[in-house]
Amino acid sequence: MRKNFPVLLALAALLCAVPARALLTVTAETDRNTVQIDDNLYLTVTVSGDSASVPEPKLPNMQNFNVYSSGRSQSISIINGKITTSVSFTYMLTPRFIGAQTIPSISVFNGREKAVTNELTVTVVKAAQQAPQQPAAPRQPAARPQRPSPAARTAAVKGERIFLKAETDRKSAYPGEQINISVKFYTSVPLSSNPQYMPPSFKNLISEDLPPVRNGETEINGIRYAYSEIKAALFALAPGPAQVGPATVIAQVPSQDQIDPFDPNFFQKFMAMSGAQGRSMEFTTNLVKLDIKPLPAGAPASFGGAVGDYTVSAAADRPDARAGEAVNFSVTVSGSGNLKAVIAPKFPDLPDFKVFDTMSSLDVRKDNDVITGKKTFTYILVPRSEGRKTVPPVRFSYFDPRAGQYRELQTEPVTLTVEKGGQAARSVNFNPGTPGAPVRASGSDIAYVSDQAGRDSLPLLAGAVLSLPWWVHTGPLALLTLSFWLARFNRFKLANPLLFRFRQARSEASRDIEEAEALIKAGKTNEAVALLYDSFLDYLSDKCGLKVSALTMKKAAEHIKRRFPATSERSLGEIRELWEALELRHYSPGTAGKEGASDLAKKYSLLLEFLEKELR
Amino acid sequence: MRRLLLALLLALPASAAAYDRGELVEFNDLYRAGQYEEALDGYRQLIAKEPANQWGWYNAGNALFRLNRMGPAVYHYAKAFTLDPRSQDIRGNLDFALRHTGQKLVPEGAPAALHYFYYIVSERELKALSLLLFWLGCLAWAAGYLLDGNKWSGPACRAAAAAGLLLLCSLAWLGARQSSAFSSAGVVTRAGGTRMLSGPGDNFKTYASAPEGRIVKILDTGDEAYYEIGLPKEGIKGWALKTDIEKI
Repeated sequence: MRKNFPVLLALAALLCAVPARALLTVTAETDRNTVQIDDNLYLTVTVSGDSASVPEPKLPNMQNFNVYSSGRSQSISIINGKITTSVSFTYMLTPRFIGAQTIPSISVFNGREKAVTNELTVTVVKAAQQAPQQPAAPRQPAARPQRPSPAARTAAVKGERIFLKAETDRKSAYPGEQINISVKFYTSVPLSSNPQYMPPSFKNLISEDLPPVRNGETEINGIRYAYSEIKAALFALAPGPAQVGPATVIAQVPSQDQIDPFDPNFFQKFMAMSGAQGRSMEFTTNLVKLDIKPLPAGAPASFGGAVGDYTVSAAADRPDARAGEAVNFSVTVSGSGNLKAVIAPKFPDLPDFKVFDTMSSLDVRKDNDVITGKKTFTYILVPRSEGRKTVPPVRFSYFDPRAGQYRELQTEPVTLTVEKGGQAARSVNFNPGTPGAPVRASGSDIAYVSDQAGRDSLPLLAGAVLSLPWWVHTGPLALLTLSFWLARFNRFKLANPLLFRFRQARSEASRDIEEAEALIKAGKTNEAVALLYDSFLDYLSDKCGLKVSALTMKKAAEHIKRRFPATSERSLGEIRELWEALELRHYSPGTAGKEGASDLAKKYSLLLEFLEKELR
Repeated sequence: MRRLLLALLLALPASAAAYDRGELVEFNDLYRAGQYEEALDGYRQLIAKEPANQWGWYNAGNALFRLNRMGPAVYHYAKAFTLDPRSQDIRGNLDFALRHTGQKLVPEGAPAALHYFYYIVSERELKALSLLLFWLGCLAWAAGYLLDGNKWSGPACRAAAAAGLLLLCSLAWLGARQSSAFSSAGVVTRAGGTRMLSGPGDNFKTYASAPEGRIVKILDTGDEAYYEIGLPKEGIKGWALKTDIEKI
């Protein structure tokens, strides 16, 4: 054993060194190894994985090529419940410099695994030179002789040697309807190097490149121009205004400066000019504004926002199956339009089947500058019982922008012959393990992202309370202080009723006088005098702290003298006089004329003023 | 009054739906398609719109986790946790991300149920609850003065006493939470960790390093460029660049 130990150790080390099977893979290849400077080459990056979706590759910064997306195609296969996805991303590369150019490693990362491609090297040769090792690559379609656009003619009239123009094929469209934009770079002078193109920004639009770059020559106003045209398909997102920002081209333009042969620095300038690459110039297009019309009303219930021209079909991967066995059922939407935005048609209720998640695969083509292709939605159906089972038609609606109306399509019904299921077909197992084996956790992962758009009520309420300004929270304290004071005041008032009667005597008497004056004006002199009499007695009662029933003129005078020794005899005399006068009028109503009652009210009022100064 | 309260309660869920649901679904589709960077950009827009919405932070944490940026992922989960500590998904993902960085959500030896109860309400909710109890106590006491003549046997005064007692409890809870791992804390978000210096400047000696994703206590925020941070488990403190730490 001791002898074999090093061998065992080496074997163990070897076993450990065997890498775990990588589930995520990425490969990159170009359609050729040599390309002319005025030609394009295709780079295909294929990402494969074991889930329904694979990450998009992250292209590194490539200064030596202009890169255009040229579409993608996806294939999903479900074999024995195992899902394999392979997506090919195609890019068109336009070389910028002559020589051996490197395409750096391209990486993909799905959150768990990372995969990278090898570096690729491409030889870029001069335009006239044919690639030596490779058979001639298919040339890009030659640009048809075109009539220069009015904008190009305007620029040419101005005598510009180099200019850049952007034009759309229409100024108005529906959301999702294809609008083609053409950015043309005209030059009547040879450039020092391949210019660098910076695409425009878009507002309320998404874009899809339409490669290849078209090159050609045209004559405008007698000037011969070479041009390069870059096209893109645009799709508006929502009704309203949309705009294409300025596109930019940076080019090395030969210097136009003439050298005076008699210039003392002639040789110096000549040498400098011949060695220079020219000066870097930037050309931009104008802003292009578009009007996006709203879709008309009356969309069918099955309309999911698709705009274009489509057909729809459905098929199962086999005509017969056993109960409990998985059947792949595909609904394919084909046609022209923004297929990326087409969503899965609503699947009808199928009581005879268990329906599992939808997976979609996309195949986009860009022939003749029209985005076409197909999008396939794959459902996994598991028949519940034997017999002839039918999947009813699936409805799909789209808006046809040419006709300006909605169209509704439906697939043909698909019938499956389902036989009685065997033991093995009782359940669907997408990750087959040992039958009957207990459930074992094979790993753990983070929970999926949340679709909840809003906050819960409790955090929202907390946020609302905490967002109140701080001084609002002093409110309850102020209220507490106020109620404390009010309670104490009430208690004091209850404990000292005479004091409050004494303090309020004047105000009550004044109120009575006003009321009496109103009665006098109304001609009710008797009631006025009665009111004044009662009021006067109440006033004296409050000031003396005696009950009205116990109040006589004598008692009142005595109390006043006792409580307020500073009271003058004149005041007492006035009190007596008013009392008698009121008593006389009160008990002999006939004597109470209108003027007499009014005098009494005035006298009472004056006496009040006087007494308030003395009875303190 | 009752109708007004009912209307307010009914209006709450409506106002709670703050995000544009279409946008969120779009970003989640990007996440689903493995375009985590693009999804993250979208979630960040949502956070900028409504910083108090826990789901923006949570989803951004998920995207960062998938991008293998553990420090920022822990920070985003921790923010979501401080906003909504009751969510099982947020707790689960925070714990998962913490375990990836050698930490645990529930401290060693602490019963999980007790830890759950301790964090059952967020600090914001606890502060709001304290304020509401303060309001209730003051109003009930004021009513007690006016209606019951400040007799403690009256219903208003009893309500005031109960509110006062609950207020004291919530303040004690809030005080205890100040010493929790997520209070006055930050997360090391710099890839590869941060250096802990013996002073707030590059001229001071580096004597420790805090790994990426580590939750640290922020002891001093006074300096322009440096935080004074502490690692309670190791019992050390030092100064780290503010750009390396995200305050929770």
